[in-house]
Amino acid sequence: METTLHSLLLGFSVAFEPHNAWYAFLGCLVGTLVGVLPGIGPLAGISILLPVTFGLNATQAIIMLAGIYYGSQYGGSTTSILMRIPGEASSVMTCIDGYAMAQKGRAGAALCIAAVGSWIGGTFGVLVLTLVAPPLATIAIKFGPPEYTALLVLGLIFLAYMSSTSLIRTLLMASLGLMLGMIGIDNLTGDFRYSFNLAELGDGIGIVPVAVGLFGLGEILATPSADAVKNVMAPKLRELLPTRQEWREAAMPITRGTLLGFIIGIIPGSAHIISSFLSYALERRLSRSPEQFGKGAVAGVAGPETANNAASTGAFVPLLALGIPTSPITAVLIGALMIHGVSVGPTLVNEHPDVFWGFVASMYVGNIMLLALNLPLVSLFVTVLRIPYAYLYPMIIMFCIIGVYETNNSIIDVWIMLIMGVLGYALRKFEFDPAPLVLGLVIAPILEQSLRQSLIMSNGDYFIFLSRPISLGLFAVSALLLTLAAISFVLKKRDWRSTLAEAEAGEVET
Amino acid sequence: MILRADHVAGAAFIVFGLLVIAISGSLPFGTLSSPGAGFMPRILSVLMMLFGATLMLRARESRAFATLTWTDAKHAAMVVLITALAVAGFEWLGFVTTNVLMMFALLVIIERRGVMPAAAYSLGVVIVTYVLFVYVLKTPLETGPLGF
Repeated sequence: METTLHSLLLGFSVAFEPHNAWYAFLGCLVGTLVGVLPGIGPLAGISILLPVTFGLNATQAIIMLAGIYYGSQYGGSTTSILMRIPGEASSVMTCIDGYAMAQKGRAGAALCIAAVGSWIGGTFGVLVLTLVAPPLATIAIKFGPPEYTALLVLGLIFLAYMSSTSLIRTLLMASLGLMLGMIGIDNLTGDFRYSFNLAELGDGIGIVPVAVGLFGLGEILATPSADAVKNVMAPKLRELLPTRQEWREAAMPITRGTLLGFIIGIIPGSAHIISSFLSYALERRLSRSPEQFGKGAVAGVAGPETANNAASTGAFVPLLALGIPTSPITAVLIGALMIHGVSVGPTLVNEHPDVFWGFVASMYVGNIMLLALNLPLVSLFVTVLRIPYAYLYPMIIMFCIIGVYETNNSIIDVWIMLIMGVLGYALRKFEFDPAPLVLGLVIAPILEQSLRQSLIMSNGDYFIFLSRPISLGLFAVSALLLTLAAISFVLKKRDWRSTLAEAEAGEVET
Repeated sequence: MILRADHVAGAAFIVFGLLVIAISGSLPFGTLSSPGAGFMPRILSVLMMLFGATLMLRARESRAFATLTWTDAKHAAMVVLITALAVAGFEWLGFVTTNVLMMFALLVIIERRGVMPAAAYSLGVVIVTYVLFVYVLKTPLETGPLGF
């Protein structure tokens, strides 16, 4: 505990360095804008802005990119409450009661509750991350190839199980991502795979062109400017502070959202989206007046907004402690650190304490910055939405090209982005969620290497996965999840996932 | 039988899996005790075909293929075409020229905006971005024959 406090103090000394604090602020500001703008989510935002961090050191880069990530969770609530437009997928649930509160003249109170809840959720997440990540990293050092294989398989199955689309669709997307991850030189034998005599493909397909193509360009292709937002309501912020009654109504949902969000954040999948949905469902179930939900219930704003921020922070636990991305966003962050020569995993805390603790401390600082940014500057952020979409998307395409090209100075990457944009458009048409594809692409090399190393270790005996307690336990959980999914499929039982799918479909219609 | 969206999607994944197996011929599969470079791709191809077949079998739950709306396809195709032309000329013409032309084309051809506002906007945005990246962020951008 004492060591942790000392390390955290080291982190704060790093985070408060003027340059680092400036990049945290910049990340939070850009993240809020990314959250406010519909059609450009945190994944595309981080990927596009990756080259901007090339001139920075690893600590500054991760501080800024993480600021964009959790800043977008804050920003997403603004448009949800004021305009019933979820700037970010995790803000879908906030639209329902947030907008209803705004219509009752309580927009300021809803924004304030969302911002304070987000701050509490985010700060609690960082606090637990501070305490949990270092000991978890110590345990993870003992992981061998079979344990990593089991953990990654569990991650994929968990992702598929938690997904709002069907299990098969998610597994198909993950398989496609894993397949794309096979392109390039085989690390164990040196064979070139599917590189079609293009030297640039020797290193494989990068995550940035794929993520930017699927989520940035793909979204633009699927959004004709005629369908984009035209009327932007002027926010009324005369009553910014919630009443004592509203605070009372928000207190327990914020507490529950914090705990629920953090726990879900650790689990692989689009945790911040799922957590906000589950928090909303939980609050409605626990409420003494569930009929108020949909008509401006304070708990319907406080719970989901807190949960999605706590989940964003929770997602950093497996990233920093195990080096395993649990979502496409954390996968891009791993890529960013690798570009800066920092390998993420259990050794990060010992090998790069300044990066690890500087990053953790910057999240405390960043959460306070976001609280200060989001309330007074809300009108300014909403002004961005007044730019006609017809003018906005050519600029986004330009940033997509810069972002992808600058990562490796490779025009092949830009072509890959374009192809992925078309693929993303087609996938949306056929109702596939492209997020598992990106996750599959990132974990492909780790999964393949650990699987093959395990088989080499055991002389081809698959029993190695069942003879080691940790991998056995992880595979048992995978089997359990598959069984649960099969039961739900056979009984055609509706559960929270089908309801989430309907809520997300509602987002499209909004 | 009604052709459904998942029939088409499932078939596409099966064809893709077959294609990967077909072009993986030269990659050694190896043995279980020493898996080769073709080991994982073949496993994934088979899995993908299995999942694709399952999707086709459950296609009744999906929408009829004929009901998929493609009204935005023309807009998407135009954006892809103009962006592709920009990508093709990017290394030759450089960042500034390519992006000014691309944004101008997107605004005038697709969005039917006036020539003068489109030109002013394209030029302004690209120059501000160039200055931001090259002089403020010290991140060099691709230069063309004119040195920018």
